[in-house]
Amino acid sequence: MEISVTESGDVRILSFQGNLDTNTSPQAESEINGLIDAGSQQLLINFEKLDYISSAGLRILLATAKKLKASQGDLKICCLNETVQEVFDISGFATILSVSKTEEDALGAF
Amino acid sequence: MTEKFTILAVDDTPENLDVVKGILSVDYIVKAATSGPMALKIAEKQPPDLILLDIMMPDMDGYEVCRRLKENELTRDVPVIFLTAMDQTTDEAQGFELGAADYMTKPVNPPILKARVATHLALKNSMDQLQSAFNIIQKHKERMQQELNVGRDIQMSMLPVEFPPYPDRKEFSIHALLEPAREVGGDFYDFFFISDDEICLVLGDVSGKGVPAALYMAVTKTMIKTQAADDSSPASIVTRVNEELSADNPACMFVTLFVAIVNVRSGELRFTNAGHNPPYVLRHDGKLDCLDQRHGPIIGAVEGVAFREDQIEIGEQDTLLLFTDGVTEAMDTANKLYSEARLEKLLEKSDNTPDQLTGAVLDAVEEFATGAEQADDITILAFRIEQATEKVRVDELHLVAAANLAEIERINAEFTAFAEERGFTAGIAQKVCIVFDDLLNNVISYGFNDDEEHKIDIDISVTSEQLVITVADDGMPFNPFDRVGPDISLSLEERDIGGLGVLLVTELMDQCSYQRRRDRNVVTLVMNLA
Repeated sequence: MEISVTESGDVRILSFQGNLDTNTSPQAESEINGLIDAGSQQLLINFEKLDYISSAGLRILLATAKKLKASQGDLKICCLNETVQEVFDISGFATILSVSKTEEDALGAF
Repeated sequence: MTEKFTILAVDDTPENLDVVKGILSVDYIVKAATSGPMALKIAEKQPPDLILLDIMMPDMDGYEVCRRLKENELTRDVPVIFLTAMDQTTDEAQGFELGAADYMTKPVNPPILKARVATHLALKNSMDQLQSAFNIIQKHKERMQQELNVGRDIQMSMLPVEFPPYPDRKEFSIHALLEPAREVGGDFYDFFFISDDEICLVLGDVSGKGVPAALYMAVTKTMIKTQAADDSSPASIVTRVNEELSADNPACMFVTLFVAIVNVRSGELRFTNAGHNPPYVLRHDGKLDCLDQRHGPIIGAVEGVAFREDQIEIGEQDTLLLFTDGVTEAMDTANKLYSEARLEKLLEKSDNTPDQLTGAVLDAVEEFATGAEQADDITILAFRIEQATEKVRVDELHLVAAANLAEIERINAEFTAFAEERGFTAGIAQKVCIVFDDLLNNVISYGFNDDEEHKIDIDISVTSEQLVITVADDGMPFNPFDRVGPDISLSLEERDIGGLGVLLVTELMDQCSYQRRRDRNVVTLVMNLA
């Protein structure tokens, strides 16, 4: 899976390309934690190029969201495809995480 | 402390009565009557234990009195001793014919009178005790007969007896009958669906007779049905039932068992024979096959036995015939057995529907055994596939994954290629990949606790309507759908990391089920495509 990181002000934007599952979650986790350890408190994860996410990926998102909330930071997610949206609905993550349709909407909400 | 016996002395001469009173009133209570009618009145009011009866009396003589005493139920059994004067012509024979117990002449010799009275009282006493004992035995005999009935009722009430049992299922027809022997013999049969298209057929014979056999039969039958609820392997079902029954079997009851699971659409028949006489398959072309494979010992005897199973195919108009040894070991009056040979001859000529077939076999056996008592229950079950199933075009893919997490990527890549070739939407491929990821992750991470190499078998089959995936592993028994799911209404802080994988699997697929087959966990998932 490819992860590219860009910036918009204080927000760090992670774009995932591929799948977020058992085998790729460790990579995502270390990338995200690297950013947080370096001081980033506002993260936007862009799923536009993500095909699907399994429970392993969901766990990374949940852990990250909890961590950032605890330190007054913020995690937002945007551009979910149909399958990923369905997974978010099933798991209840659509309610507990901040999800937007577009990157612009997400950035505007920080 | 026994009560004194009561003696009624009857004589029209009061002096004679005094004499008798004098002799007997020391040991007995003596009542007196001076005429026949008076005697009858006293006797009916309170029957004495013995009556001393004078013969020559005016109005009503002793014979008449005796006759009337014997006619009355209340006084019939009281022993009567006739007393007659020496100088009268009397007919001894007549007296005895009337039912008198004894005959004495007057004047009576006191010790002899006492002796005769004592003898007859003792005799009467013994008779009474014998009658009492007889009544008790009668009651017990009735109770035993009732017990036989109870056993019979237990046995018969547990059998499915309504035919046809599934009138809306045209793929097959089935019939069964059980002709019980006089004493409950412990035979049973059963059939029930374990899934839409799979029916379980059971036939068994419990050793022993009577209520214990009937109860053991009830236990065995129930156990089989319970195990089959989430197990579609006959070998596995029989193995688990045997473990349970042989673990606690102080009465040493055993059961021979035949269990088959038939897919009524494909005709696939898997069966396990535990010590039971081999059944037959009567093919549509008249050929007779004997399923003589044995898969283990009689049930209930030994723990720790792993039963095996075999698989055959039955097609349109093929009939499976199950039966107990009440058929083949039925005996005629010359003690010859009906035998497999006769049965085979009968079947080879047969072209009958299941209900005709069971009736024909029973008739043949009964005719053979005419005159001899039926020693054992006769049980017969016939099952025939009626319609050829539509051969549905099925596309299949079989994958084998080693038990390490890196394999998940390869499996998903292979499935994605398979899906693209068949023009599945991206959504379907993505969902299946999520399901594979979560399911296989679970199995690989938690299913094995040794250092051996394990393999996971994945079968994918596609029809125009459905995508069916089975994932089979030989790990520890585990039903992933057994757990309570996570509470998705909790807030971010409250949410727990665990439990999401199974939730995604059950929600993304349309049907999920788990079975333990022999030594494997088998998860079956269905996604509707239509």
